[in-house]
Amino acid sequence: MTTIAAPLPRGRPRGIDLSRPVMLGLAAVLCVLIVLPVSQLAWHAVVDRDGAPTLENFRRLWSDPAFVEPMLTTLTLATSVSVACCVVAAPIGWLVARTDLPFTGVVRALVMASFVTPPFLGAVAWEILAAPNSGLLNQWYRSLTGAGTDEYLVNVYSMGGLIFVIACYTFPYVFVLVSNALDRIPSDLEDASAILGGRTWRTAARITIPLALPALLAGGLVAFLQAMILFGSPAILALPAGFHTMTTKIWSLFQYPPKPGLAAAAALPLLLITIVLLRGQQWLMGRRGYTVVGGRSGRPRPTALGLLRWPALGLCLAVLACSVFLPYGALVKTAFSRVPSQPVSFDNLTLQHVRFVLFEFSGTRLALQNTFLLGVLSATLGTGLALVVAYLSGRRAVPGHRTLAFLATAPVSIPGIVLGVGLFLSYTRPPFVLYGTLWILLIAYITIELPAAYQQLQSALKAVHPELEEASRILGATRLQALGHVTAPLLRSGVIAAWCFVFIGTMRELSAAIMLFTADTKVISVVIFDLNESGDLGAISVLGIAMLLITFAVVLLVNRIPGLGGWRPARPGG
Amino acid sequence: MASVELAGLTKRYGALAVVDRVGLRIEHGQLVCLLGPSGCGKTTTLRLIAGFIEPSEGEVRVGDRLVSSAGWAMEPQKRNMSMIFQSYALWPHMTVAGNVAYGLELRRLDRETIRRKVQAMLATTRMDAYADRYPADLSGGQQQRVALARALVVEPETLLLDEPLSNLDTNLREEMRFEVRRLHDEYRYTTVYVTHDQAEAMTTADQIVVMNAGRIEQAGPPEEIYYRPRSEFVAQFIGGTNILRGKGLDGRHLSFAGRALRCSGADVPAGGTIAVSIRHHDIRLLAAPPPGAENVLEARIARQVFLGSVRDYLVEVADGTQLRVVAPAEHSIESGSPVWLHLPPERCRALAG
Repeated sequence: MTTIAAPLPRGRPRGIDLSRPVMLGLAAVLCVLIVLPVSQLAWHAVVDRDGAPTLENFRRLWSDPAFVEPMLTTLTLATSVSVACCVVAAPIGWLVARTDLPFTGVVRALVMASFVTPPFLGAVAWEILAAPNSGLLNQWYRSLTGAGTDEYLVNVYSMGGLIFVIACYTFPYVFVLVSNALDRIPSDLEDASAILGGRTWRTAARITIPLALPALLAGGLVAFLQAMILFGSPAILALPAGFHTMTTKIWSLFQYPPKPGLAAAAALPLLLITIVLLRGQQWLMGRRGYTVVGGRSGRPRPTALGLLRWPALGLCLAVLACSVFLPYGALVKTAFSRVPSQPVSFDNLTLQHVRFVLFEFSGTRLALQNTFLLGVLSATLGTGLALVVAYLSGRRAVPGHRTLAFLATAPVSIPGIVLGVGLFLSYTRPPFVLYGTLWILLIAYITIELPAAYQQLQSALKAVHPELEEASRILGATRLQALGHVTAPLLRSGVIAAWCFVFIGTMRELSAAIMLFTADTKVISVVIFDLNESGDLGAISVLGIAMLLITFAVVLLVNRIPGLGGWRPARPGG
Repeated sequence: MASVELAGLTKRYGALAVVDRVGLRIEHGQLVCLLGPSGCGKTTTLRLIAGFIEPSEGEVRVGDRLVSSAGWAMEPQKRNMSMIFQSYALWPHMTVAGNVAYGLELRRLDRETIRRKVQAMLATTRMDAYADRYPADLSGGQQQRVALARALVVEPETLLLDEPLSNLDTNLREEMRFEVRRLHDEYRYTTVYVTHDQAEAMTTADQIVVMNAGRIEQAGPPEEIYYRPRSEFVAQFIGGTNILRGKGLDGRHLSFAGRALRCSGADVPAGGTIAVSIRHHDIRLLAAPPPGAENVLEARIARQVFLGSVRDYLVEVADGTQLRVVAPAEHSIESGSPVWLHLPPERCRALAG
């Protein structure tokens, strides 16, 4: 033991604690990202062109039918989508989580597939399927029934069509909340009802469903919100039908001649409703009375469906046909067909759309480059920012950490189109002229994706016990050294997940980009939107498929890079 | 190496004083246990010593150095301390050797020295065969040893232990108590050990500091704490006891259940209500009244439980007070039988306050 007894050098490791400057710098960055656009929005809503205070914008908003009607339309749309999503998602959620439905893994995976489908791509796919004249479904209908050429079965360019298409890509939100809630209800609660004599269906009606109800309501609110703030689907489906929603109306205010003050005033109600709805959702999910209490208990015992299993599976697949099978089939068919409306045959097979998109159409290459660059940059910077904020707030490392956490989650209540307006107003005049550059898109993407990345990393950080860092500190490491040696390696998988999340989100973002792009700064989603206006569905299909392939490839690649995805965190047993 | 001194140490969260004017001097090389129920402020006191939080009032000194004062704390990495955490806090992404070497690497020792010291320390903690394993592959006791090795290898001036054995099963816990004491005796660091387990404190400590509601109730060597508790809380918490309440008769007697009992300990003021502690196994059960003995009470057996080595009786005296008595297991006295209790005066400790 003599070696141990030899005195160690008393010199302590060097290192400066940077926590305060880091905190201040971050607060400044977050303020620029979030507070600046929102305050610009509020400011421009209440001043006229010369900067004098006025309520003229709001007066027009509430009196001009050109604005009142889109508002009513938006409310009807959002309410209908919300109800439709609940009606569809609740039974599927229950079937998947609580019954012996066959192939639940497949059903879950397909719901996730509709979750990650960009809504505007879904809308385009449904154009291909259900446009009154050229729509595939209507053509089949005519050829089957011999109906006249001006007759159709379904028309996607209608309020009903819009509600249907948006619901197809919104119901997964409700599904996730409901099935998670059902997964968490301990089977003991159901067993307790059973032992008292409650039969299967009675137990479901009296115990299981009431316990899952708050999640369903919260899901309904989220669906309402999504339908309200969506830009792509209404722009693709409602404009040809001749009506506006709030988001398309705000967008149209930026067409020549631009009326930014009016747009700002129109964006504010969306912002306020979003904040109120998210509060409501948090309240519903967080109420103590409905939080299931008690220790661990067994796996949920599935309800036996008996022979009803197969019709139930059929129901699920029918819903998924609307959101996955039919749209993707239509996209693939259109991408490789000479004439989209003709049936699949060798004669009709072509690569002309692929050639056109990739080599002839000048906008594609630039848009791909821009999208890829923005995706990688937003994901890297956004994840980095979210990581530092999550650390500082999770560990209460600096005074004011609550404010940081609030700022990092605040963008969740700023709809993309509203943020687009705010950023447009902030960065089109000195001192910051970023409009027309990729920077403004980068700022938009980072801001939009920050909450998701933050929440991902915050929960990852919760799994890293603070004592792991303290152990490093007491042995002589500064805060930043502890972060580098201990916390960062343990968070690796969480960081990768957050990075992929932001990257995917950036690839599919349309509603802020549509407000901020210029000819040189187009991204794929904007190009798809443009191509839709010119009716080039084949090219859109190719681009949409390319976009999905790039997304999968990048996510796969990031998870394969040695040293990034290789190591899995192992928890020491207690 | 140095002593650790706490003076008027206070930590408030809002209006609540979690640690309340704690004053304590821990001599160099001593092992002191902070003992108390959960929420008594012992862990907060330890974290104040470590510098993870700064005090609201008061000071912490190590040797002659001031390391914490009101609103200020020298950063933990500058204190030359080590700590063993309740969760062990072994880094799951480093091997056993990597965990132990970490503190030495921060001290910028050369590679060869680090290797030698790590090996020697792993040998001392009997973990040398596991140097290349990851913590997740180790049992609880092995993780505990690695945590010890990691904390000791840097030769800290002060070693802090936060409930280090509470995650182990009973057998291992008993074994590790002695291990902690053995390593302490080997290296003689000033050690502060936080626990809620009195047996752990008894086994390991030179001095026990009993804490309650943020304050020190009593501090002293284990025997003194056990035999001469100064408050009802200490008597109850260490070892368990019967508390008899009665009116003081004169300096040495109190009236209880219609009898005068002689007791030791604090003075018994005449006329005031006084509490007296007598431990379960200090009461003698007698089948017949002993002739002329003092401190004898008549009682009835309310229930008895056979515990293997002893029998645990609940008896009721004339005024309805129930007392617990632990007696040898050989003789069983049926429930409902009358008995006589002998309470030796030197075991009846009058409590202050």
